[in-house]
Amino acid sequence: MIRDITIGQYYRTESVIHRLDPRVKIVGTLCYMISLFTFQSFAGYLAAIPFFAFVLLLSRVPFSYTVKGLKPVFVMLILTSVLNLFWTEGTVIVRLGFVVVTWEGLKRMIVISLRLILLIIGASVLTLTTTPNQLTDGLEHLFSPLKKVHVPVHEIAMMMSIALRFIPILIEETGRIMKAQTARGADFETGSVLRRIKNMFPIFIPLFVSAVHRAGDLADAMDARCYHGGAGRTKLHPLHYTGRDSAAFFVLLLYLLLLYFVKRYIPY
Amino acid sequence: MKKIVEIKNLVHEYARRDSEGNVAEIVRAVDSVNLEIEPGAFVAVLGANGSGKSTLAKHLNALLMPTEGTVLIDGKNTEDREKLLDIRKTAGMVFQNPDNQIVANVVEEDVAFGPENLGVPTEKLEKRVHDSLKAVDLFEERKKSPNRLSGGQKQRAAIAGILAMRSKCIILDEATAMLDPVGRKQVLQAVLELNREEHITVILITHFMEEVIEADQIFVMKQGEVVLSGTPRQVFSRKELLEECGLTLPDAARIAWGLKLKGLSVRTDVLSMQELEEELNGIGVSHGGV
Repeated sequence: MIRDITIGQYYRTESVIHRLDPRVKIVGTLCYMISLFTFQSFAGYLAAIPFFAFVLLLSRVPFSYTVKGLKPVFVMLILTSVLNLFWTEGTVIVRLGFVVVTWEGLKRMIVISLRLILLIIGASVLTLTTTPNQLTDGLEHLFSPLKKVHVPVHEIAMMMSIALRFIPILIEETGRIMKAQTARGADFETGSVLRRIKNMFPIFIPLFVSAVHRAGDLADAMDARCYHGGAGRTKLHPLHYTGRDSAAFFVLLLYLLLLYFVKRYIPY
Repeated sequence: MKKIVEIKNLVHEYARRDSEGNVAEIVRAVDSVNLEIEPGAFVAVLGANGSGKSTLAKHLNALLMPTEGTVLIDGKNTEDREKLLDIRKTAGMVFQNPDNQIVANVVEEDVAFGPENLGVPTEKLEKRVHDSLKAVDLFEERKKSPNRLSGGQKQRAAIAGILAMRSKCIILDEATAMLDPVGRKQVLQAVLELNREEHITVILITHFMEEVIEADQIFVMKQGEVVLSGTPRQVFSRKELLEECGLTLPDAARIAWGLKLKGLSVRTDVLSMQELEEELNGIGVSHGGV
Protein backbone atom coordinates (compact mmCIF):
# COMPACT_ATOMS: atom_id res chain seq x y z
CA MET A 1 0.00 0.00 0.00
CA ILE A 2 1.20 3.45 -0.88
CA ARG A 3 0.29 4.83 2.56
CA ASP A 4 2.63 2.36 4.26
CA ILE A 5 5.68 4.13 2.89
CA THR A 6 7.62 5.74 5.71
CA ILE A 7 10.78 7.74 5.67
CA GLY A 8 13.70 5.97 7.24
CA GLN A 9 13.16 2.33 8.10
CA TYR A 10 12.24 2.09 11.75
CA TYR A 11 12.28 -1.47 13.07
CA ARG A 12 9.71 -1.67 15.86
CA THR A 13 10.90 -3.76 18.79
CA GLU A 14 11.84 -3.36 22.45
CA SER A 15 15.55 -3.04 23.15
CA VAL A 16 18.05 -1.06 25.17
CA ILE A 17 19.24 0.66 22.01
CA HIS A 18 15.67 1.63 21.07
CA ARG A 19 15.17 3.20 24.48
CA LEU A 20 18.40 5.20 24.43
CA ASP A 21 18.10 8.95 24.20
CA PRO A 22 18.22 9.95 20.51
CA ARG A 23 20.97 12.46 21.28
CA VAL A 24 23.21 9.67 22.55
CA LYS A 25 22.51 7.61 19.46
CA ILE A 26 23.25 10.48 17.08
CA VAL A 27 26.50 11.42 18.83
CA GLY A 28 27.47 7.76 19.16
CA THR A 29 26.87 7.04 15.49
CA LEU A 30 28.83 10.11 14.51
CA CYS A 31 31.81 9.10 16.70
CA TYR A 32 31.68 5.57 15.32
CA MET A 33 31.60 6.82 11.74
CA ILE A 34 34.52 9.16 12.28
CA SER A 35 36.46 6.45 14.07
CA LEU A 36 36.26 4.26 10.95
CA PHE A 37 38.34 6.81 9.09
CA THR A 38 41.14 6.94 11.64
CA PHE A 39 42.88 3.74 10.58
CA GLN A 40 44.29 2.24 7.38
CA SER A 41 45.08 -1.21 8.78
CA PHE A 42 43.24 -4.47 9.43
CA ALA A 43 43.90 -4.07 13.11
CA GLY A 44 41.32 -1.31 13.56
CA TYR A 45 38.60 -3.75 12.63
CA LEU A 46 39.47 -5.85 15.64
CA ALA A 47 37.85 -3.03 17.60
CA ALA A 48 35.23 -1.77 15.12
CA ILE A 49 33.62 -5.07 14.16
CA PRO A 50 33.11 -6.35 17.72
CA PHE A 51 31.73 -2.94 18.75
CA PHE A 52 29.27 -2.93 15.87
CA ALA A 53 28.28 -6.55 16.56
CA PHE A 54 27.74 -5.74 20.24
CA VAL A 55 25.45 -2.80 19.47
CA LEU A 56 23.55 -4.76 16.83
CA LEU A 57 23.03 -7.66 19.24
CA LEU A 58 21.70 -5.31 21.90
CA SER A 59 19.37 -3.59 19.40
CA ARG A 60 17.68 -6.92 18.50
CA VAL A 61 17.47 -5.78 14.88
CA PRO A 62 18.11 -8.72 12.52
CA PHE A 63 21.45 -8.43 10.67
CA SER A 64 19.64 -8.83 7.33
CA TYR A 65 17.80 -5.53 7.96
CA THR A 66 21.02 -3.56 8.28
CA VAL A 67 22.39 -5.20 5.13
CA LYS A 68 19.39 -3.91 3.15
CA GLY A 69 20.91 -0.46 3.49
CA LEU A 70 23.80 -1.60 1.31
CA LYS A 71 21.67 -2.14 -1.77
CA PRO A 72 21.81 1.43 -3.12
CA VAL A 73 25.60 1.63 -2.74
CA PHE A 74 26.31 -1.83 -4.09
CA VAL A 75 27.56 -0.55 -7.47
CA MET A 76 29.81 1.98 -5.77
CA LEU A 77 31.17 -0.75 -3.54
CA ILE A 78 32.08 -2.96 -6.51
CA LEU A 79 33.57 -0.03 -8.39
CA THR A 80 35.86 1.10 -5.56
CA SER A 81 36.88 -2.50 -4.91
CA VAL A 82 37.87 -3.04 -8.53
CA LEU A 83 39.71 0.26 -8.77
CA ASN A 84 41.68 -0.43 -5.60
CA LEU A 85 42.44 -4.01 -6.53
CA PHE A 86 43.82 -3.33 -10.00
CA TRP A 87 45.28 0.15 -9.76
CA THR A 88 47.49 -0.02 -6.68
CA GLU A 89 51.24 -0.27 -7.09
CA GLY A 90 53.31 -2.74 -5.04
CA THR A 91 54.33 -6.37 -4.86
CA VAL A 92 52.76 -8.20 -7.76
CA ILE A 93 50.81 -11.40 -7.08
CA VAL A 94 49.14 -12.03 -10.41
CA ARG A 95 49.80 -10.51 -13.82
CA LEU A 96 47.38 -11.22 -16.65
CA GLY A 97 48.26 -9.07 -19.62
CA PHE A 98 47.65 -5.49 -18.53
CA VAL A 99 45.74 -6.57 -15.39
CA VAL A 100 47.99 -6.47 -12.36
CA VAL A 101 46.98 -7.49 -8.84
CA THR A 102 49.24 -6.47 -5.97
CA TRP A 103 49.33 -7.33 -2.27
CA GLU A 104 48.88 -3.69 -1.41
CA GLY A 105 45.90 -3.49 -3.75
CA LEU A 106 44.27 -6.52 -2.17
CA LYS A 107 44.79 -5.12 1.31
CA ARG A 108 43.46 -1.73 0.35
CA MET A 109 40.40 -3.23 -1.30
CA ILE A 110 39.52 -5.15 1.83
CA VAL A 111 40.17 -2.22 4.18
CA ILE A 112 38.21 0.28 2.12
CA SER A 113 35.22 -1.91 1.30
CA LEU A 114 34.95 -3.06 4.91
CA ARG A 115 35.01 0.58 5.97
CA LEU A 116 32.23 1.45 3.54
CA ILE A 117 30.12 -1.50 4.65
CA LEU A 118 30.54 -0.78 8.35
CA LEU A 119 29.81 2.89 7.74
CA ILE A 120 26.49 2.22 6.06
CA ILE A 121 25.21 -0.62 8.19
CA GLY A 122 26.31 1.34 11.27
CA ALA A 123 24.29 4.36 10.22
CA SER A 124 21.31 2.17 9.44
CA VAL A 125 21.30 0.92 13.05
CA LEU A 126 20.57 4.54 14.04
CA THR A 127 17.59 4.88 11.72
CA LEU A 128 16.35 1.36 12.45
CA THR A 129 16.18 1.99 16.18
CA THR A 130 15.06 5.64 16.25
CA THR A 131 11.73 7.01 15.02
CA PRO A 132 11.92 10.04 12.71
CA ASN A 133 10.27 12.08 15.48
CA GLN A 134 12.93 11.15 18.00
CA LEU A 135 15.58 11.96 15.42
CA THR A 136 14.25 15.47 14.81
CA ASP A 137 13.84 15.97 18.54
CA GLY A 138 17.41 14.85 19.15
CA LEU A 139 18.78 17.04 16.38
CA GLU A 140 16.86 20.04 17.71
CA HIS A 141 18.49 19.61 21.11
CA LEU A 142 21.95 18.93 19.75
CA PHE A 143 21.89 22.00 17.54
CA SER A 144 20.24 24.26 20.10
CA PRO A 145 23.53 26.04 20.96
CA LEU A 146 23.32 27.48 17.43
CA LYS A 147 20.29 29.52 18.59
CA LYS A 148 22.83 31.89 20.12
CA VAL A 149 24.02 32.83 16.64
CA HIS A 150 20.37 33.21 15.46
CA VAL A 151 20.03 29.94 13.61
CA PRO A 152 16.29 29.11 13.77
CA VAL A 153 16.89 25.61 15.16
CA HIS A 154 13.39 25.09 16.54
CA GLU A 155 11.77 26.25 13.34
CA ILE A 156 13.92 23.96 11.20
CA ALA A 157 13.08 21.00 13.43
CA MET A 158 9.37 21.91 13.27
CA MET A 159 9.59 22.05 9.47
CA MET A 160 11.27 18.66 9.38
CA SER A 161 8.60 17.10 11.53
CA ILE A 162 5.79 18.67 9.49
CA ALA A 163 7.44 17.44 6.31
CA LEU A 164 7.53 13.94 7.79
CA ARG A 165 3.86 14.20 8.67
CA PHE A 166 2.83 15.31 5.17
CA ILE A 167 4.98 12.97 3.08
CA PRO A 168 2.51 10.05 3.26
CA ILE A 169 -0.41 12.42 2.59
CA LEU A 170 1.28 13.86 -0.49
CA ILE A 171 2.25 10.40 -1.73
CA GLU A 172 -1.37 9.34 -1.45
CA GLU A 173 -2.43 12.47 -3.28
CA THR A 174 0.09 11.79 -6.07
CA GLY A 175 -1.50 8.37 -6.52
CA ARG A 176 -4.93 9.95 -6.71
CA ILE A 177 -3.86 12.58 -9.25
CA MET A 178 -2.12 9.93 -11.37
CA LYS A 179 -5.31 7.90 -11.47
CA ALA A 180 -7.36 10.96 -12.35
CA GLN A 181 -4.97 11.90 -15.17
CA THR A 182 -4.82 8.31 -16.43
CA ALA A 183 -8.60 8.29 -16.56
CA ARG A 184 -8.37 11.37 -18.78
CA GLY A 185 -5.99 9.60 -21.14
CA ALA A 186 -2.59 10.57 -19.74
CA ASP A 187 0.21 8.09 -20.33
CA PHE A 188 3.06 7.72 -17.83
CA GLU A 189 4.40 4.35 -18.93
CA THR A 190 5.57 4.60 -22.54
CA GLY A 191 7.68 6.88 -24.71
CA SER A 192 11.23 8.20 -24.46
CA VAL A 193 12.66 9.45 -21.16
CA LEU A 194 12.11 13.06 -22.22
CA ARG A 195 8.51 12.32 -23.18
CA ARG A 196 7.89 10.62 -19.83
CA ILE A 197 9.34 13.54 -17.92
CA LYS A 198 7.08 15.88 -19.89
CA ASN A 199 4.11 13.69 -19.04
CA MET A 200 4.83 14.16 -15.35
CA PHE A 201 3.84 17.84 -15.45
CA PRO A 202 0.09 17.13 -15.20
CA ILE A 203 0.91 15.37 -11.92
CA PHE A 204 3.26 17.88 -10.39
CA ILE A 205 1.27 21.02 -11.05
CA PRO A 206 -1.94 19.92 -9.24
CA LEU A 207 0.21 18.36 -6.51
CA PHE A 208 2.05 21.62 -6.03
CA VAL A 209 -1.15 23.67 -5.95
CA SER A 210 -2.66 21.35 -3.39
CA ALA A 211 0.49 21.41 -1.25
CA VAL A 212 0.35 25.21 -1.14
CA HIS A 213 -3.31 25.04 -0.10
CA ARG A 214 -2.53 22.56 2.62
CA ALA A 215 0.30 24.74 3.88
CA GLY A 216 -2.10 27.69 4.17
CA ASP A 217 -4.65 25.61 6.06
CA LEU A 218 -2.01 24.21 8.37
CA ALA A 219 -0.65 27.67 9.12
CA ASP A 220 -4.16 28.78 10.15
CA ALA A 221 -4.60 25.68 12.28
CA MET A 222 -1.25 26.25 14.00
CA ASP A 223 -2.10 29.90 14.62
CA ALA A 224 -5.47 28.88 16.04
CA ARG A 225 -3.70 26.56 18.46
CA CYS A 226 -1.55 29.38 19.80
CA TYR A 227 1.69 28.46 18.01
CA HIS A 228 4.12 31.34 18.29
CA GLY A 229 7.54 29.83 17.66
CA GLY A 230 9.75 27.93 20.03
CA ALA A 231 9.87 30.48 22.86
CA GLY A 232 8.10 29.32 26.01
CA ARG A 233 7.09 25.98 24.55
CA THR A 234 6.95 22.92 26.74
CA LYS A 235 7.00 19.28 25.64
CA LEU A 236 4.78 16.30 26.34
CA HIS A 237 7.74 13.94 26.20
CA PRO A 238 10.87 15.94 26.93
CA LEU A 239 14.24 14.25 26.44
CA HIS A 240 16.08 13.29 29.64
CA TYR A 241 19.38 11.56 30.05
CA THR A 242 19.20 8.49 32.27
CA GLY A 243 21.70 6.01 33.69
CA ARG A 244 21.28 4.01 30.52
CA ASP A 245 22.59 6.90 28.47
CA SER A 246 25.65 7.40 30.67
CA ALA A 247 26.37 3.67 30.33
CA ALA A 248 26.13 4.04 26.55
CA PHE A 249 28.66 6.87 26.58
CA PHE A 250 30.94 4.72 28.73
CA VAL A 251 30.73 1.84 26.21
CA LEU A 252 31.53 4.28 23.41
CA LEU A 253 34.57 5.49 25.32
CA LEU A 254 35.71 1.89 25.86
CA TYR A 255 35.44 1.30 22.15
CA LEU A 256 37.51 4.37 21.30
CA LEU A 257 40.17 3.34 23.83
CA LEU A 258 40.24 -0.18 22.45
CA LEU A 259 40.63 1.22 18.97
CA TYR A 260 43.53 3.39 20.09
CA PHE A 261 45.42 0.50 21.69
CA VAL A 262 44.75 -1.92 18.89
CA LYS A 263 46.11 0.58 16.38
CA ARG A 264 49.13 1.22 18.51
CA TYR A 265 50.17 -2.34 19.32
CA ILE A 266 49.04 -4.39 16.31
CA PRO A 267 50.91 -3.29 13.21
CA TYR A 268 48.89 -4.98 10.43
CA MET B 1 -23.63 37.07 32.86
CA LYS B 2 -20.74 37.94 30.57
CA LYS B 3 -21.28 36.88 26.97
CA ILE B 4 -18.72 34.46 25.54
CA VAL B 5 -19.04 35.99 22.06
CA GLU B 6 -20.19 39.50 21.34
CA ILE B 7 -20.13 40.78 17.79
CA LYS B 8 -21.08 44.38 17.09
CA ASN B 9 -21.64 45.67 13.55
CA LEU B 10 -19.00 43.39 12.11
CA VAL B 11 -18.01 44.12 8.52
CA HIS B 12 -15.33 42.23 6.66
CA GLU B 13 -14.24 43.29 3.22
CA TYR B 14 -11.55 41.89 1.01
CA ALA B 15 -10.28 43.00 -2.33
CA ARG B 16 -10.52 40.72 -5.33
CA ARG B 17 -7.60 41.40 -7.65
CA ASP B 18 -7.31 40.84 -11.38
CA SER B 19 -4.29 39.20 -13.03
CA GLU B 20 -2.27 42.44 -12.93
CA GLY B 21 -2.80 42.80 -9.20
CA ASN B 22 -5.15 45.77 -9.41
CA VAL B 23 -8.19 45.78 -7.19
CA ALA B 24 -11.04 44.60 -9.39
CA GLU B 25 -13.78 44.80 -6.79
CA ILE B 26 -14.32 44.99 -3.06
CA VAL B 27 -16.23 42.02 -1.70
CA ARG B 28 -18.20 42.34 1.51
CA ALA B 29 -17.94 38.83 2.94
CA VAL B 30 -19.53 39.78 6.25
CA ASP B 31 -21.96 42.68 6.38
CA SER B 32 -23.05 44.39 9.62
CA VAL B 33 -23.45 41.27 11.70
CA ASN B 34 -24.58 41.61 15.31
CA LEU B 35 -24.76 38.59 17.53
CA GLU B 36 -24.29 37.51 21.12
CA ILE B 37 -23.67 34.05 22.45
CA GLU B 38 -24.20 33.00 26.07
CA PRO B 39 -21.60 30.78 27.76
CA GLY B 40 -22.55 27.11 27.55
CA ALA B 41 -24.85 27.56 24.58
CA PHE B 42 -25.00 25.35 21.51
CA VAL B 43 -25.26 27.72 18.58
CA ALA B 44 -25.38 26.94 14.88
CA VAL B 45 -24.52 29.23 11.99
CA LEU B 46 -26.18 28.05 8.81
CA GLY B 47 -25.44 29.23 5.34
CA ALA B 48 -24.74 28.08 1.80
CA ASN B 49 -21.31 28.32 0.17
CA GLY B 50 -20.15 31.91 -0.02
CA SER B 51 -22.59 33.16 2.60
CA GLY B 52 -19.72 34.45 4.74
CA LYS B 53 -20.08 31.94 7.53
CA SER B 54 -16.46 30.80 7.42
CA THR B 55 -15.21 34.37 7.31
CA LEU B 56 -17.29 35.03 10.39
CA ALA B 57 -15.76 31.97 12.09
CA LYS B 58 -12.23 33.17 11.42
CA HIS B 59 -13.05 36.41 13.25
CA LEU B 60 -13.93 34.48 16.38
CA ASN B 61 -10.39 33.13 16.56
CA ALA B 62 -8.64 36.37 15.58
CA LEU B 63 -7.41 34.78 12.36
CA LEU B 64 -9.08 37.70 10.58
CA MET B 65 -9.47 41.27 11.79
CA PRO B 66 -12.68 43.27 11.33
CA THR B 67 -12.79 45.91 8.62
CA GLU B 68 -15.43 47.66 10.75
CA GLY B 69 -17.07 46.84 14.07
CA THR B 70 -15.75 44.81 16.98
CA VAL B 71 -15.55 41.18 18.05
CA LEU B 72 -15.30 40.46 21.78
CA ILE B 73 -14.42 36.95 22.93
CA ASP B 74 -15.06 36.50 26.66
CA GLY B 75 -14.89 40.29 26.92
CA LYS B 76 -11.56 40.60 25.07
CA ASN B 77 -11.30 42.54 21.83
CA THR B 78 -9.78 40.45 19.01
CA GLU B 79 -7.87 43.49 17.78
CA ASP B 80 -5.87 43.64 21.00
CA ARG B 81 -2.59 41.94 20.03
CA GLU B 82 -1.65 41.41 23.68
CA LYS B 83 -4.72 39.26 24.28
CA LEU B 84 -4.22 37.23 21.10
CA LEU B 85 -3.10 33.98 22.74
CA ASP B 86 -5.74 34.35 25.40
CA ILE B 87 -8.47 34.70 22.78
CA ARG B 88 -7.22 31.74 20.78
CA LYS B 89 -7.03 29.71 23.94
CA THR B 90 -10.62 30.64 24.87
CA ALA B 91 -12.10 29.90 21.47
CA GLY B 92 -10.61 26.81 19.86
CA MET B 93 -11.28 26.07 16.23
CA VAL B 94 -11.78 22.83 14.30
CA PHE B 95 -11.28 23.27 10.56
CA GLN B 96 -12.83 21.60 7.56
CA ASN B 97 -9.98 19.45 6.27
CA PRO B 98 -9.04 16.79 8.84
CA ASP B 99 -5.55 16.22 7.40
CA ASN B 100 -4.49 19.83 7.20
CA GLN B 101 -4.89 20.65 10.87
CA ILE B 102 -2.90 17.85 12.47
CA VAL B 103 0.63 18.97 13.19
CA ALA B 104 2.38 16.11 14.98
CA ASN B 105 3.16 12.57 13.87
CA VAL B 106 1.58 10.85 16.88
CA VAL B 107 -2.02 11.41 18.04
CA GLU B 108 -1.16 12.22 21.67
CA GLU B 109 1.57 14.64 20.63
CA ASP B 110 -0.85 16.44 18.36
CA VAL B 111 -3.33 16.79 21.21
CA ALA B 112 -0.51 18.23 23.30
CA PHE B 113 0.44 20.78 20.62
CA GLY B 114 -1.87 23.57 21.85
CA PRO B 115 -1.00 23.37 25.55
CA GLU B 116 2.69 22.97 24.65
CA ASN B 117 2.49 26.30 22.87
CA LEU B 118 0.89 27.81 25.94
CA GLY B 119 3.78 26.57 28.06
CA VAL B 120 1.83 24.15 30.24
CA PRO B 121 4.36 22.21 32.36
CA THR B 122 5.04 18.60 31.30
CA GLU B 123 3.53 17.03 34.45
CA LYS B 124 0.19 18.73 33.82
CA LEU B 125 0.34 18.08 30.08
CA GLU B 126 0.07 14.33 30.52
CA LYS B 127 -3.14 14.59 32.52
CA ARG B 128 -4.65 17.06 30.08
CA VAL B 129 -3.86 14.88 27.08
CA HIS B 130 -5.18 11.82 28.88
CA ASP B 131 -8.45 13.51 29.89
CA SER B 132 -9.01 15.09 26.48
CA LEU B 133 -8.48 11.84 24.59
CA LYS B 134 -10.84 10.05 26.99
CA ALA B 135 -13.48 12.74 26.45
CA VAL B 136 -13.58 12.14 22.69
CA ASP B 137 -13.12 8.38 23.05
CA LEU B 138 -9.76 8.21 21.31
CA PHE B 139 -7.60 7.06 24.21
CA GLU B 140 -6.89 3.68 22.61
CA GLU B 141 -5.48 5.38 19.50
CA ARG B 142 -3.13 7.73 21.35
CA LYS B 143 0.12 6.15 20.10
CA LYS B 144 -1.00 5.84 16.49
CA SER B 145 0.05 7.93 13.54
CA PRO B 146 -2.74 10.38 12.58
CA ASN B 147 -2.55 8.93 9.06
CA ARG B 148 -4.01 5.70 10.42
CA LEU B 149 -7.16 7.39 11.77
CA SER B 150 -10.47 7.73 9.94
CA GLY B 151 -11.77 11.19 9.05
CA GLY B 152 -14.13 11.24 12.03
CA GLN B 153 -11.34 10.16 14.37
CA LYS B 154 -9.05 12.88 13.01
CA GLN B 155 -11.68 15.52 13.69
CA ARG B 156 -12.20 14.16 17.20
CA ALA B 157 -8.44 14.31 17.70
CA ALA B 158 -8.61 17.98 16.68
CA ILE B 159 -11.40 18.51 19.23
CA ALA B 160 -9.25 16.81 21.88
CA GLY B 161 -6.46 19.22 20.97
CA ILE B 162 -8.77 22.11 21.82
CA LEU B 163 -10.02 20.51 25.03
CA ALA B 164 -6.39 20.11 26.10
CA MET B 165 -6.05 23.92 25.93
CA ARG B 166 -9.02 24.08 28.34
CA SER B 167 -10.96 26.21 25.87
CA LYS B 168 -14.36 27.53 26.92
CA CYS B 169 -15.67 27.54 23.40
CA ILE B 170 -15.27 25.25 20.38
CA ILE B 171 -15.90 26.57 16.88
CA LEU B 172 -16.48 23.90 14.25
CA ASP B 173 -15.90 25.53 10.88
CA GLU B 174 -17.64 23.05 8.56
CA ALA B 175 -15.75 20.37 10.42
CA THR B 176 -18.13 17.67 9.24
CA ALA B 177 -18.24 18.64 5.56
CA MET B 178 -15.55 16.19 4.43
CA LEU B 179 -16.70 13.26 6.56
CA ASP B 180 -18.81 10.21 5.81
CA PRO B 181 -22.16 9.91 7.65
CA VAL B 182 -20.64 7.74 10.41
CA GLY B 183 -17.78 10.15 11.04
CA ARG B 184 -20.18 13.10 10.99
CA LYS B 185 -22.36 11.46 13.61
CA GLN B 186 -19.37 10.70 15.84
CA VAL B 187 -18.11 14.27 15.71
CA LEU B 188 -21.55 15.77 16.41
CA GLN B 189 -22.10 13.31 19.25
CA ALA B 190 -18.74 14.25 20.76
CA VAL B 191 -19.41 18.00 20.71
CA LEU B 192 -22.96 17.54 21.95
CA GLU B 193 -21.70 15.60 24.96
CA LEU B 194 -19.07 18.22 25.68
CA ASN B 195 -21.75 20.88 25.53
CA ARG B 196 -24.17 19.03 27.81
CA GLU B 197 -21.66 17.63 30.30
CA GLU B 198 -18.77 20.10 30.39
CA HIS B 199 -20.85 23.18 29.49
CA ILE B 200 -18.48 24.11 26.71
CA THR B 201 -19.92 26.63 24.29
CA VAL B 202 -20.24 25.10 20.82
CA ILE B 203 -20.51 27.16 17.65
CA LEU B 204 -21.33 24.83 14.80
CA ILE B 205 -20.87 26.27 11.34
CA THR B 206 -22.43 24.17 8.62
CA HIS B 207 -24.69 23.96 5.62
CA PHE B 208 -26.33 20.69 6.71
CA MET B 209 -29.66 21.47 8.33
CA GLU B 210 -29.87 17.99 9.91
CA GLU B 211 -26.93 18.91 12.13
CA VAL B 212 -28.54 21.91 13.77
CA ILE B 213 -31.63 20.23 15.24
CA GLU B 214 -30.03 20.06 18.69
CA ALA B 215 -28.92 23.70 18.68
CA ASP B 216 -30.25 26.21 21.22
CA GLN B 217 -30.11 28.95 18.66
CA ILE B 218 -29.53 29.18 14.92
CA PHE B 219 -28.27 32.09 12.87
CA VAL B 220 -28.88 31.85 9.12
CA MET B 221 -26.52 33.78 6.88
CA LYS B 222 -27.00 34.96 3.32
CA GLN B 223 -24.52 37.10 1.40
CA GLY B 224 -22.70 38.12 4.55
CA GLU B 225 -25.78 39.10 6.55
CA VAL B 226 -27.65 37.30 9.29
CA VAL B 227 -31.13 37.08 7.77
CA LEU B 228 -32.82 34.83 10.28
CA SER B 229 -32.25 33.72 13.82
CA GLY B 230 -34.14 31.71 16.39
CA THR B 231 -34.67 28.23 17.74
CA PRO B 232 -34.57 25.31 15.28
CA ARG B 233 -38.38 25.19 15.35
CA GLN B 234 -38.69 28.86 14.49
CA VAL B 235 -36.09 28.62 11.75
CA PHE B 236 -37.47 25.44 10.17
CA SER B 237 -40.88 26.99 9.71
CA ARG B 238 -39.45 29.63 7.35
CA LYS B 239 -39.20 27.38 4.34
CA GLU B 240 -39.23 30.04 1.60
CA LEU B 241 -36.54 32.14 3.24
CA LEU B 242 -34.33 29.09 3.83
CA GLU B 243 -34.67 28.06 0.21
CA GLU B 244 -33.74 31.57 -0.86
CA CYS B 245 -30.59 31.13 1.22
CA GLY B 246 -29.75 27.97 -0.70
CA LEU B 247 -30.52 25.63 2.18
CA THR B 248 -32.65 22.48 2.14
CA LEU B 249 -34.89 21.45 5.02
CA PRO B 250 -34.26 18.11 6.75
CA ASP B 251 -36.31 15.18 5.43
CA ALA B 252 -38.93 15.25 8.21
CA ALA B 253 -39.74 18.91 7.67
CA ARG B 254 -39.75 18.48 3.90
CA ILE B 255 -42.27 15.63 4.12
CA ALA B 256 -44.43 17.70 6.47
CA TRP B 257 -44.42 20.57 3.97
CA GLY B 258 -45.30 18.16 1.17
CA LEU B 259 -48.22 16.77 3.14
CA LYS B 260 -49.43 20.24 3.96
CA LEU B 261 -49.39 21.19 0.28
CA LYS B 262 -51.52 18.12 -0.39
CA GLY B 263 -54.09 19.48 1.99
CA LEU B 264 -53.23 17.70 5.24
CA SER B 265 -53.23 20.05 8.22
CA VAL B 266 -49.91 19.04 9.82
CA ARG B 267 -47.45 21.19 11.73
CA THR B 268 -44.46 21.99 9.52
CA ASP B 269 -41.97 22.79 12.26
CA VAL B 270 -41.20 19.15 13.05
CA LEU B 271 -37.55 18.49 13.78
CA SER B 272 -37.25 14.73 13.42
CA MET B 273 -38.95 11.76 11.79
CA GLN B 274 -40.12 10.66 15.23
CA GLU B 275 -41.85 13.98 15.80
CA LEU B 276 -43.43 13.80 12.37
CA GLU B 277 -44.76 10.34 13.16
CA GLU B 278 -46.24 11.55 16.43
CA GLU B 279 -47.79 14.51 14.68
CA LEU B 280 -49.36 12.27 12.05
CA ASN B 281 -50.63 9.87 14.70
CA GLY B 282 -52.08 12.84 16.52
CA ILE B 283 -54.19 13.88 13.58
CA GLY B 284 -55.41 10.36 12.89
CA VAL B 285 -52.97 9.19 10.24
CA SER B 286 -51.28 5.93 11.15
CA HIS B 287 -48.82 3.54 9.52
CA GLY B 288 -51.76 1.85 7.79
CA GLY B 289 -52.16 4.68 5.29
CA VAL B 290 -53.89 7.98 4.86
